Amino acid sequence: MVLYSNPAERAYQISIHLIVALIAVTAVFPLVYVIGMSMTTQTELIKRSYFVIIPLEPTLQGYERILGQTAVWRAFMISVLRSTIGPAMALVLTLVGAYCLSIRTLPGRAVILLLVLASIIFPGGLIPSYLVMRRLGLLNNFWVMILPFLGHSFGLLVIKVFIENLPEGLVESARIDGAGHLQMLIWIITPLTAPALAAIGMFSIVEHWNSWFDALVYLSDDALWPLQLILRHILLGAYAQSEVYQVMGRRQINPESLKMTTVVVGIVPLLCVYPFVQKHFIKGVYLGAIKG
Amino acid sequence: MPATPASSVAAPALPARRRKTLLERINEHRTVYLLLLSVLAYYLLFRYWPIGLSLVVSFTDLSIGRGVWGSEWVGLGNFVEIFSQPGIVRVIRNTFEISLLRILFGFLPPILLAILFHDMAIQWFRKTTQTIVYIPHFFSWVIIWGIVFAVFSSANGLINNIRVFVGLERMEFLLSQGAFRPILIGSAIWKELGWGTIIYLAALSTVDPELYDAAVIDGAGPISRIRHITFPSILPVVSFVLCLNFGFILYAGGEQVLLFYNPAVYDVGDIIDTWIYRVGLRQLELSLGAAMGLFQSFFGLLTVVAANYVARRYTGRGIW
Repeated sequence: MVLYSNPAERAYQISIHLIVALIAVTAVFPLVYVIGMSMTTQTELIKRSYFVIIPLEPTLQGYERILGQTAVWRAFMISVLRSTIGPAMALVLTLVGAYCLSIRTLPGRAVILLLVLASIIFPGGLIPSYLVMRRLGLLNNFWVMILPFLGHSFGLLVIKVFIENLPEGLVESARIDGAGHLQMLIWIITPLTAPALAAIGMFSIVEHWNSWFDALVYLSDDALWPLQLILRHILLGAYAQSEVYQVMGRRQINPESLKMTTVVVGIVPLLCVYPFVQKHFIKGVYLGAIKG
Repeated sequence: MPATPASSVAAPALPARRRKTLLERINEHRTVYLLLLSVLAYYLLFRYWPIGLSLVVSFTDLSIGRGVWGSEWVGLGNFVEIFSQPGIVRVIRNTFEISLLRILFGFLPPILLAILFHDMAIQWFRKTTQTIVYIPHFFSWVIIWGIVFAVFSSANGLINNIRVFVGLERMEFLLSQGAFRPILIGSAIWKELGWGTIIYLAALSTVDPELYDAAVIDGAGPISRIRHITFPSILPVVSFVLCLNFGFILYAGGEQVLLFYNPAVYDVGDIIDTWIYRVGLRQLELSLGAAMGLFQSFFGLLTVVAANYVARRYTGRGIW
């Protein structure tokens, strides 16, 4: 072990801890500022010559205003729906695909694998995808946020490798015991690949929760918009004329504070879940790193 | 070892059996094909149909009324039209410049931070700071944009409020051509800095700690340990990530730019992805948009294949 009594080593340790602490503060500070601003009134800003990090007269009016919008709650529900249904269905399809393609004796396996791989590096593009969704009747349809995400090519390849690396005896003995493919998938493969599935599922949830561009392209009906797209809309000030910005009461919240409230509304759900699932994400990246 | 008895029983029977024909093997796997049907249906509908359409639409003058096959075939006309537009050189140059700037400024910081994490002696402090710097990775670009707005907006943005506080004028950072790229790339670094360390930390976790002890005994200081042990052990991953970044050079982060840019900064911000969205989809120049997309996919494929080749050749690991 390195001896920290050595002055050079000690100076090095002190400086790297300080640098990393500074970086961590940089990562957090904007969030603190956003939260502070979301509760700051226009009156206080003027009174304190605009330099406010922590409001001394905090107000929750912004939250009342934003959370009082049925559109925001509807969008929240839609985001919850797409981030649960989407990943669940994608996991099933990914697992089935990975299992089938892990069977080395399957005729045509190489061709199908090539198809999966090629789709990663040769995307069809925005306009053709739009035309396909239109043809499939998916424009202004909730399922346009689910179906195109069902195939998780990268996850499929990772899980395929995972299954191939399972101890041979496990799969073989189950097959000799007469297990069919479905039984095999449900009782043998699923429990054994659970860690990889969990990691891929997590990433899929975040991907769904954070998506807004697909909704922007395919959904012109704002009743179907997920939370992120509504947030973007509020940030753009597109709701400026609507009731969100109507002034009420004596203490006026400024539009900027409302925007900051919007950001906090978008951040909080993630921050609540993050501490509990962080490990799975790290595991997921390690899995990917091993594969690659 | 349950496999051993099973295979030793099966082995003597094998020579007597003739090789199965392809049809027999296919028949043997019919349930597997049935299961695979769902996967294949997905790939055909949502991945390969768009690719097929892009190959057709890019070479026709698509009119929605007449449908894809009824539209007039124009050969390379769409490409000629795109590349004769005066602004298009700017769009392609912006794409390359923004990608290169992202690599130039964004590539090194995660490597350095990973090395710092690796060397930190106080483990609880290391764990805590790691957990914190990973957080911004999980924010959507919409949220990142909101945070950028909080810091740089001319109305009550942090920097402008400080400027007012010390008696300076407010500045329109978000409408400024000079500030657009630094804000775009800076915020992306802020988002991905912490998360970017993980791939290097994964590589460092396999380094034998005894190497460091031996180096210390030999009188190596912290910097020379980084140079002779830490850095060489992540070098393959470093080169791999660099190749990967160059491979995706035609994809300069459309989602982020689409949020961040505005007509005032089109000159320095408009990239291929945003051009396709704006011209192709919003102005309904569907054929032009599809042709541009095909151009991007095609040259994107070449760069990715080239990057993979270089990575395989020099680092021993590829994307596939």
